[in-house]
Amino acid sequence: MAAVEELGYAALALVTAGIGALGGLGGAVLLVPVLVLTGMPASEAAPLGLLTVAAGSIAAGPHQLEERTVNHRLGVVTELAASTGAVAGALVSGVISDVALTYLLAVVAFAAALAGVRRTGLRNPPDPACERSDIGERVGALAGAYPLGEQIVPYRTNRLAGGLGFMGLAGFIAGTAGASGGFIKTPATAELMHVPMKVAAATTTFTVGITSSAALVVFALQGRIDAQTSAVVVVGSLVGGQLGARLQSDLSPALIRRVLSVLLVVVATVLVVRA
Amino acid sequence: MSAKPPRAPIPGGQVSTIRGRWQSPALRWTTRTVIALGLASLVLPGRAATAVATAVVAAVVATPLLRVLWLVHRWRQEHDRRFVVAGLALLGVIALGALLAALGVS
Repeated sequence: MAAVEELGYAALALVTAGIGALGGLGGAVLLVPVLVLTGMPASEAAPLGLLTVAAGSIAAGPHQLEERTVNHRLGVVTELAASTGAVAGALVSGVISDVALTYLLAVVAFAAALAGVRRTGLRNPPDPACERSDIGERVGALAGAYPLGEQIVPYRTNRLAGGLGFMGLAGFIAGTAGASGGFIKTPATAELMHVPMKVAAATTTFTVGITSSAALVVFALQGRIDAQTSAVVVVGSLVGGQLGARLQSDLSPALIRRVLSVLLVVVATVLVVRA
Repeated sequence: MSAKPPRAPIPGGQVSTIRGRWQSPALRWTTRTVIALGLASLVLPGRAATAVATAVVAAVVATPLLRVLWLVHRWRQEHDRRFVVAGLALLGVIALGALLAALGVS
């Protein structure tokens, strides 16, 4: 019976991690509410959610590295705010009302969905002057260029301070609720910081792994991680993360943005129902 | 009236040499190992299952942090001091969180 239950958790993790990797969303934002709806206490579901996020990030890594869509410098700088938020959130997670936090999550998810559908087309156009050798991130700067089909799209990060504020919020939500905060990070990176959607999604997939690790270190030291259930959930999320990352590279940035917005509305509705 | 010309954000400067030549195989290897160990934890009995499952959790938590450490090393080779400091500061924040959790602060 226990094995059947664990296989059920693994299947749930596979589906949610696949969706998460697809849009840089993080599967935990779906997994954690569903686990709670199945009767699991939120304090146990939160670490499981973050483990799926970290595992999905690892699984998606090789493919995104080979595409050269991850901007590691941008990721690490924004993680300074996100991991600070995650550590603070994990430390105070027992104090905040679950209902209040759930409503907060729903409001932010709706706002992110609106931001995603508001814009159409590409903000960063391909530059014919760019060559294949320009692909990659720039040394000493939060900038780079990525391949879009046969063309090269250069970009530069704007509004870093505002972006860091959203990353801190995303990290705090990760540390308290067990959701990755990717649903805040990707839209904030793309819409506020003007990073191309594909780069924003890939960089978010990289950073949510770090945010999750920061919170999980705290959870582990608080004795809140059940290793055996975690292991099967991790297996499911690794397989799902790989499938999602492969699909991500075959889809257009505009399509990813629309799918992400629909997912955010679904998530927000589930959160309101849960609250 | 002609359309507003696109911004020219083409960044100057050197393109980073980080291509994921080490990260990609390492992450693939980690993924496969973790999947194998996770499946093993389903079929192994008692203590062995717990030990293997604990190894899975440890690998998943440690890998993103090891990626940051690797990036710090690579940025140091690229003489990109600002980002070396950013990477080390990030690891410092996480270490501080661990210390506070170990001390029972909440």
